[in-house]
Amino acid sequence: MKRLLPCALFFLLGSSPAGAVDERDPATVITQAITRILEVLDSHRAEFTQNPELLRNVVRENMLPLIDVVYSARLVLGRAGRGVSTEQLLAFSDALSNVLINRYSDNLIEFSSDRQIQVMPLKGKNTDKLTRVRTRIKLTRGGFIPVDYAFHRTDEGWKAFDVTVEGISYVITFRNQISPRVRAEGIDKVTADIIAGNVSLDE
Amino acid sequence: MIRFEPVKMRSLLSSACAVLFALLLTACASQPATMTDPEQDPWESYNRKMHAFNMGLDQAIFRPVAKSYDFIMPDAPQRGVRNFFRNLAYPVTFLNLLLQGRFEDSLTATGRFLVNSTVGLLGFFDVASKEDIPYYDEDFGQTMAVWGWKDSRYLVMPFFGPFTPRDVLGRGFYGFFYPPSYYAREHNNYVPIVVDLITLRASLLTFDDDIESAHDPYALIRDAYLQRREFLIYDGDPPVPDYDAMLEDY
Repeated sequence: MKRLLPCALFFLLGSSPAGAVDERDPATVITQAITRILEVLDSHRAEFTQNPELLRNVVRENMLPLIDVVYSARLVLGRAGRGVSTEQLLAFSDALSNVLINRYSDNLIEFSSDRQIQVMPLKGKNTDKLTRVRTRIKLTRGGFIPVDYAFHRTDEGWKAFDVTVEGISYVITFRNQISPRVRAEGIDKVTADIIAGNVSLDE
Repeated sequence: MIRFEPVKMRSLLSSACAVLFALLLTACASQPATMTDPEQDPWESYNRKMHAFNMGLDQAIFRPVAKSYDFIMPDAPQRGVRNFFRNLAYPVTFLNLLLQGRFEDSLTATGRFLVNSTVGLLGFFDVASKEDIPYYDEDFGQTMAVWGWKDSRYLVMPFFGPFTPRDVLGRGFYGFFYPPSYYAREHNNYVPIVVDLITLRASLLTFDDDIESAHDPYALIRDAYLQRREFLIYDGDPPVPDYDAMLEDY
């Protein structure tokens, strides 16, 4: 059963054909993905609690296609990304996005779809290239956590590249944590450390 | 209230001074001289030293105290006490909403304060949040930012940690109006303000592991603090960061 579940979920949720341009607007993209994840979570909570890896798979399948992991990784690297080969960049961005998705997923386990996720109306500076989707996750004890996603327009449609929780951006915060290490130790070492779980990516 | 005999007090003070001096020495020992954010943090080399001093002090005194409190007090009453102090600070929030010209919000804030002070039993229960009455986070530092003092550089204060000059000034005003500090001044009784600080530190214990395991804890605290302030100044909708500039020298 445990091994079957991820496969079943994959078919159930489907996957968009590669190369197609996603014409949905960013707010719809994020709302649909989160709603879908929470629905699956609601119906399989017991299994997911026992085996968090299953939920991570669901989150990965639903979130990864929405994220421009390479762009995100380049922002985190900044100047330290100079002279890095494409293979190195891809390996680094894979490792980074994997850890982030796992963290996101592990925090999600306590949430359910009746816990409202509210998408706020667009405000501020939004261009046809860059926009921000502001969401609020309501807490049962009252109040909410603001979670914002930064999107940019790519050839495949709108893709997210940054998450901001309570005003603290992942890209901006980890830039100063990771790029000095890459400059000092080289990207291969840092990538290996991220995969081995030796790099703290906590906020 | 605790009272010390003069002699006891003096020896206590001198040993405290010795501890502080030792901490300052270790703080000055070794720090990289690089500038990681020259624009917002031009005082980085001083700030790093003060950060190291604060961390030492935190290790030695504040964290153990907060941890003991966290160990003794169950979660529910802990939250209650936090709510109580948060509610006490709300008249100051109200004042700042007025100063920022947000009259309608200041009425909502009054409603929140009244509900929590009565139905919420002196503020121990945050009934207003359950009822979806919005919570505004405003202080004098934010008010000065709204008035035009937008950028203020990063400054690590001894004992108090992350600040900017603008927010130091703002905190000064706050200390003047905040009921527990007023009470401390007028009645020479520091118990409420000390309890407030202990519970505040205890509420931040969850971040300790993350900060400790970070590659550069100083930069982590600074970056998180400055972003959080910006977020509060703009009431949750700050300008989108200039991501393109981050790639410029890529």
